[in-house]
Amino acid sequence: MPRIENRPAVGSKKNSIFTAQEKYGEMGLSRGFLRSVKAFGGCPAVEVSGEILAYGELFERSASLASTMAEHQTGGGPPLTAVFAYRSATAFAGILAALMRGHGYVPLNRTFPIERTRAMLRRSGCRAMVVDAESEKQLDQLLEGIDERMLFVLPERQETLDLTARWPGHRFIGVEELVSHERWRPVDVSLDSIAYLLFTSGSTGVPKGVMVGHRSVRHYIDFVTERFSMTCEDRFSQMFDMTFDLSVSDLFVAWERGACVCCPSEKTLINPGRFINEKNITVWFSVPSTAVFMKRLGALKANAYPGLRVSLFCGEALPVEMVTAWSAAAPNSVIENLYGPTELTIACTCYRWDPLRSPSEAADGVVPIGEPFPDMGPLVVDDALDAVAPGQAGELLMSGPQLALGYWNDPILTAAAFVKPPGCDETYYRTGDRVRRPAGKGPLLFLGRVDSQVKILGHRVELGEVEAVVREESGIDGVVALAWPRSISGAGGVEVFLQAEGPAQPGMKQQVAARLPFYMVPRRYHFLRKLPVNANGKYDRQALINRLEALP
Amino acid sequence: MTQLTAKDVRSFLLEYFSSMIAMNGLDPAAINEDFDFLRAGMIDSLGVLEMISVVEQHFKIAVDFERMDPSELTLLGKFSHFVARNANSREPLP
Repeated sequence: MPRIENRPAVGSKKNSIFTAQEKYGEMGLSRGFLRSVKAFGGCPAVEVSGEILAYGELFERSASLASTMAEHQTGGGPPLTAVFAYRSATAFAGILAALMRGHGYVPLNRTFPIERTRAMLRRSGCRAMVVDAESEKQLDQLLEGIDERMLFVLPERQETLDLTARWPGHRFIGVEELVSHERWRPVDVSLDSIAYLLFTSGSTGVPKGVMVGHRSVRHYIDFVTERFSMTCEDRFSQMFDMTFDLSVSDLFVAWERGACVCCPSEKTLINPGRFINEKNITVWFSVPSTAVFMKRLGALKANAYPGLRVSLFCGEALPVEMVTAWSAAAPNSVIENLYGPTELTIACTCYRWDPLRSPSEAADGVVPIGEPFPDMGPLVVDDALDAVAPGQAGELLMSGPQLALGYWNDPILTAAAFVKPPGCDETYYRTGDRVRRPAGKGPLLFLGRVDSQVKILGHRVELGEVEAVVREESGIDGVVALAWPRSISGAGGVEVFLQAEGPAQPGMKQQVAARLPFYMVPRRYHFLRKLPVNANGKYDRQALINRLEALP
Repeated sequence: MTQLTAKDVRSFLLEYFSSMIAMNGLDPAAINEDFDFLRAGMIDSLGVLEMISVVEQHFKIAVDFERMDPSELTLLGKFSHFVARNANSREPLP
């Protein structure tokens, strides 16, 4: 493992930034990182694209970006900063910079279609953005149709004359004009303000922005850090893209204790087993599909990963079969199934795998989601939001400090999802997940969805969004999207049935593909003169699934 | 069943990903063996699972991928040949 030169911790003795005002203690999500800068300045904070950044170095880069934006951004706009960067040092520094200037961050993903990225940017109203070199290739296209004056900081590029010439309405800053990190000063951050704004699939055809506040995410981090006794010796995997909220756990739990985050490149992601051993990973976190993938490739052989001490899975149903294989491959690791939608801040229930007890507690080959985090209040309800009898299945509602602040600029959607059930004073989030708590004191079991949300290889997808986009682009009303082929965790892709004579009009498939992230793009279109309907007059999804299974 | 060929697998994958291929402005006829679904942005690393499961479902086969180098799995030619060589037919799924 490469060594890092021992350098004095930033903030020690002569640097008075921290001692002058201990306000960073109130800096919400970035608090742990800032403390670790002080305590572990010379230790590695991030390994990414062949580069190792010590805490002190990452702090200097982030503080410089934060000061640059604070000093150069003109005009109003919400306290949000976009980070258009992917698996690069700039991505990590950009996120910290947003937080260190007192803003929430809005991650954008260059693997998504430009049109979607632009829609997210416009909806967020961000007036400042940090951009890495790879994402910058999409910048000209992204700027088409952005009217508000924006500030772009490009720390991987020397100067920005060409960009300024092409886009005189915006301000671009390269390395030459970056403000020194020494100009950074802690900012007061209200624990009720937004720490990050993440867009998730929306059933009406438009992605919705989930606002997660500092208080919620601090609650998650404090609990998880303590539960798994994370230390500065730990080395965390970073499998999740920043547009997926589970990435927040990788970064900020690691930084809370001075540990190192190891970020694999796109190319390395295809070989997770080698990555674990080459990077001496001790804390693993992924969607179950990644482990299923490893199992299929024979990468879960007995004792393959003796160095792992914590393995966490979240994001989709966890198959018992997979955990059994994982526990043989990582014999020294505790294994936990975490559960929680973005609206409940990363995860809000957990279940520790026990090889003796767990198989009998599982239902239909799926590991239980377990018990709520401290102070989180689960409630299992029927359609009228009344609590069901013990042992009965129902929709899971959840209250407590990890409730998101709501949906960005969407009070109607917020009111529909964050509710006060009859006779309750507290607000609960409606997860849309069907669960059951066995009579007695068994762990919560995940049974499925109450609506048409699905997990496509760990990605949260509203089939309604796919249907809405296909409807708009095709002009055809009768559209049903299905997740297929199905697995115990979710599904592999999306297929669409249209009530029309085929074939599709030219260009329609491309237009749909240009609006959706790759995992939501319908793989195939099937044309039927009449879509089957069930007794309630609704499209019969099961009949269509049966049709797919019977193909070719 | 008749012997599955790499060509069968290849044409199925090109048809299955046809809307993505069209969006990228590619001509399916001009796509060669070295075409990389991952590099083209049509799938992410987990998309290999999707490729595996659609091929298994479509051809009603089971394939043992244990001996395959993960970094070659996203290549059209390598994947197709591997599937054709290692396909074991099985009963259609219930």
